[in-house]
Amino acid sequence: MERAMPQESFWDRLVISLRSNRPAVIVLGFTLLLAVAIAIESGPSQIINSIVSGGILALLAVGLALVFGVMNIPHFAHGESFMVGAYVGYFVFTPINNYVQESGNAVLGAIAPVIAVIVAAIVGLILGAVLERLIFAPLRHRTREGWVMNTFLLTVGLAYIMINGTTLLLGPNFRGIPRYYYIPPIEILNIRIAADRIFAFVVSIITIAALTFFMQKTRTGRAIRAVAQDETGAQLVGIDLDFIHTLTFALATAMAAMAGAALLYMFQAYPTVGLKPLYLSWYVVMLVGLGNVYGAIVGGFIVALLQTATQQFIGIAWEDVVPTIVMIIILILVPSGIFGSEVKGVQEQ
Amino acid sequence: MENQKSAWNRFTTRLSTIGFSPLGLILLLALLVLPLFPPFNQEHILRWLIMGAFLAAQAVAFDFTAGYINVVNFGFAAILGLGAYTAAIMTNTSPVLAIQPGLSPWIAIWIGAIVSGMVGLGLGVLTLRLRGIFAAVMSWFVGIALLGIIRNWTAVTRGPMGMHPHSLLETTDNLPYFYIIMGMMLVVYIVLKLVVRSHYGLAFKAIGQNFDAARASGINPTYYRVFNFTLSAFFAGWLGGFYAFYFGALTPQTLMHTSKTVEVLALVYIGGRGSLWGGMAIAFPFVFLIEFLRSNFTELPGLHLVVYGVLMVVVMIYYPAGFAGLYDWARAKLLSAFARRKSRAQEAEA
Repeated sequence: MERAMPQESFWDRLVISLRSNRPAVIVLGFTLLLAVAIAIESGPSQIINSIVSGGILALLAVGLALVFGVMNIPHFAHGESFMVGAYVGYFVFTPINNYVQESGNAVLGAIAPVIAVIVAAIVGLILGAVLERLIFAPLRHRTREGWVMNTFLLTVGLAYIMINGTTLLLGPNFRGIPRYYYIPPIEILNIRIAADRIFAFVVSIITIAALTFFMQKTRTGRAIRAVAQDETGAQLVGIDLDFIHTLTFALATAMAAMAGAALLYMFQAYPTVGLKPLYLSWYVVMLVGLGNVYGAIVGGFIVALLQTATQQFIGIAWEDVVPTIVMIIILILVPSGIFGSEVKGVQEQ
Repeated sequence: MENQKSAWNRFTTRLSTIGFSPLGLILLLALLVLPLFPPFNQEHILRWLIMGAFLAAQAVAFDFTAGYINVVNFGFAAILGLGAYTAAIMTNTSPVLAIQPGLSPWIAIWIGAIVSGMVGLGLGVLTLRLRGIFAAVMSWFVGIALLGIIRNWTAVTRGPMGMHPHSLLETTDNLPYFYIIMGMMLVVYIVLKLVVRSHYGLAFKAIGQNFDAARASGINPTYYRVFNFTLSAFFAGWLGGFYAFYFGALTPQTLMHTSKTVEVLALVYIGGRGSLWGGMAIAFPFVFLIEFLRSNFTELPGLHLVVYGVLMVVVMIYYPAGFAGLYDWARAKLLSAFARRKSRAQEAEA
């Protein structure tokens, strides 16, 4: 649909898709109502909180949407990329932090979390490329029959191996850090926000912006979008499919790993840490439509707000149940998501 | 000679109606008498066998949906757990919890099955419009919701603290439980086998292979899909009841978690999807392998689960037919070799 018009900005797309889209208007209107209700109930701090977690969720969901949009893989091991990122973040940050505590080097202390996230991204890139070459490329070259379902189950097995392999290598214990930045919360508009939250938010926003720029303005990014639109056509104009697939998977893995490293202060690193980020990002892609990359950015904020609302009005224990039920209703009423799934043949497979 | 042969033929035909080959029957009988002989009469090995039969029966019920109508029910473990919890709540007499019906486990196990069956019916209706991956994700979401509800409804289920229902039998001996779960496994297998051997099975396969073509040729997909889900969930809940009254400890995380579904799924794929018996047959050697790895490599926790996952992925990529496919291939090879030798002998005679 809109994806065919390359020069439009993200907001143009949003407006165009809203004009003739009742489910999206209903969901967005409902989200705004929820936001107002939360703001009245507990002040703007909760709104800020959901925006911050929405940014990270968007980062996760964009990777998931990208993998589905380009490669048609319903990626079930996305949470395990998050887990790998969390471990990398821990093993990079802890020694630097110990050194900083001893030497009192403030500059190094300020950039230590950044280093952790960047290393996590590099590890994620390598891991994603290796996994794609090792698992999906051989299967793709052999047969495309029942691809969506087969790769789905394959990623399920992959997640299982990665979780238990991590337990095997590193043990089941939690490795966490108390915080990234040992500075008092920062005040913005009379609202106090922990520095770590701002850091995580900035990481996700910069990454998403960089990805958008990459997809819109660079040759390789355009090639990725071409493959998402029409694989055969892309091949005809000389795009190297193998390279694009490997790159896409590596990018998605790197984004999830960055999210894992950026949220280390909140989630800690342990083998099954990926499950919750996994189903949250699945809520997002199911809400906006499988494979819809730009929709996933908006969806991340919607789901985060829904979670905050559940915590506020129903109780923290129900924060999984209520969003799940909302997503079940969305799946019944609009299976292709509120912004529409642009991937061809998904319903049939 | 002729008469004898036709009697044998009649016997094998009857046998195959309920889904057994003569070899399968012999193996089954061997399995049934196995715990009477050392070293298999030790209590811990008996527990492995019970675990094997429990997994085997789950694999059959799971394959009934995954292998026939081609919908992977990702909420399978949650539905099984729901049956277990319902059965446990029905027998509750402790005043700590809000509901104390105090029924006998023998009745409660059926109530659990019926409740699970009803949830299966609901899930069947929910996933009607959805195909493939969407149906799988939907059942996954339903499973997460079920787990969350049971974990949060602490007044009745004690939440993450877990429930401790009474046992099914007075005895602490494992042997009676082994025969009960073997009986349950056989009931699940034979009932589902009879269903898939009837025209229902044909309709399931047609829907699984091509939904629209099946509908165009006059099959009502709504009815068959909902029927399939309901029956599979009913048996899942029934098995959950056994779990509750045998293991005597239920927590939402250990019973209803998605990873439990993945274990059954792996078993079904390794055994051969769409065969019903593949997963069941492979469950017993598998439990022994897993338990062997677990008890002999205690310094490597999780090794057995890694082996599980690697086996599943390898089978999926390189040999999608699984163990059942391997068996069929070997059988065809043997039969053709046998036929060749026979014809050669006849030629020599002539």
